[in-house]
Amino acid sequence: MTKVGIFKLVSFLAIIAVLIVICVVEDRLVADSLMQVKDYCYRIEMASEEQGGIASGEVASLVDNLETSWKKNEGKLCFMVNHKSIEQLGVEIVRLKTYIDEEEEIEFFTSLEIIKSYVESFQHFMGASFHNIL
Amino acid sequence: MLTIVVRAIIIYLLVLFLYRVMGKRQLGEMQPFELVLTLIIADLATIPMAEVSVPVLHGIVPVLTLVVLHFILTYLSSVSNKFASFLSGKPVIVINPDGIDAKALKNLNISVDDVFEAIRGCGYFSVEQIQYAIMETNGKMSVLPKSNFAPVTVQDMKLKVEKSVIPINVVNEGKILKDNLEIAKIDEAKVMELLNKAKVKKVKDVLLMTIDKQGSVYLQQYGQKYQTLQTEVLGKVKE
Repeated sequence: MTKVGIFKLVSFLAIIAVLIVICVVEDRLVADSLMQVKDYCYRIEMASEEQGGIASGEVASLVDNLETSWKKNEGKLCFMVNHKSIEQLGVEIVRLKTYIDEEEEIEFFTSLEIIKSYVESFQHFMGASFHNIL
Repeated sequence: MLTIVVRAIIIYLLVLFLYRVMGKRQLGEMQPFELVLTLIIADLATIPMAEVSVPVLHGIVPVLTLVVLHFILTYLSSVSNKFASFLSGKPVIVINPDGIDAKALKNLNISVDDVFEAIRGCGYFSVEQIQYAIMETNGKMSVLPKSNFAPVTVQDMKLKVEKSVIPINVVNEGKILKDNLEIAKIDEAKVMELLNKAKVKKVKDVLLMTIDKQGSVYLQQYGQKYQTLQTEVLGKVKE
C-alpha cells in the first residue's frame, strides 16, 4: 500500500472512530442530563406534597440542587445541542426559585410541568428513532 | 464575534483537511456524486459559522458522515464496474461516423447547440471533421477527429526527435528552490555561476530560472526580457 493509501485508510478509520465517539458521548450526556432533571422534578413534587406546600426548606434545597446540576450539565450540552433548544429549560428552573420566594404555588407547579414536558419532548427529539430520522 | 472567527477557522481547516484526504479534483472533472458532496459540504459548513447557537459539532458531524460515505462509494466504484457505472453513468457516444446521435442527445438531455459548444471547445467547428465525440461521465466532451482532419504528428512525419523533457524551476521569484536543485542534480554554486554568466548580480533579481536535462537554461529577471543559456549537461536530471 502506498503512503497516500495508508493516509486515506488511517483518516477513514479515524473519522469513523470520531463519529462513533461523538454519537455515544452525545447520547449518554443528553440522556443523563435529562434524567437528572426529571428525577429532581419528581423529588420536588414529592417533597412539596409531603410538606403540604412549596414554602419549605427541603423544596427550596431541591430546587437549588436542580439549578446547580442543570448549570453543570448545560455547559456540556451546549457542545451537542442547539443552545436555543435548552435555553427555555434553564429559564423555567430559575423561575421555580422566584415562585418559592413569592409562594406562588400554581405558577410553581406550572413551571415544574413545563420542565417535565420539555424533558420528555427532548428525549423524543434527541433519540435515534425512525420518526426522528424521517 | 470571536466565536465566529474561531469557528470559521476550525471549519475551514477541517474542510481543507477532508478535501486533501478525498483527493484532488478540478470542479469540472467531478463525477456527479462528488459534485453533490461538494455542494452539500459547502452548505453544511456554513451553518455553525453563521448561527452561533448551533454547536460547531452540528456542522462537523454531517460533513464527516458525508466524507465516510464518499470513501465507501469511491471504494465500491473501484472494485465494481457495475456500481461505478450506476453511480457515475457511462460515457456516451454523441457523434458517430453517421453523424449526431439524436437518441443519445435525448437521453443525456442536451441539445445540438450544447454539442457544438463542446466540440468547438475541443478545436473543431464542423461535425464533418469528427469521427467520434464522446460525452464523458464528468460532463466533458472527448473528440476523435477523422484522420484527414487530425493534426499531423511527429510520427506521421516519421521524424526523429529528442525525448521531451520537463524543465525544472530552480529559482522562482528571487528564491532558490532547494528541493528542485536536488532533482536537477545541481548545487547553489552552479546556479550562481550561471547567474554570473548571464550578468545577473543577485538571486533576488531573478523572476524565473529553469534548467532541463539537456542543460538548456531559461532565465528571466524582473522587468527584463528573458534570456536562454546553454550549459554542460549536469548529471542526469531526474524525470
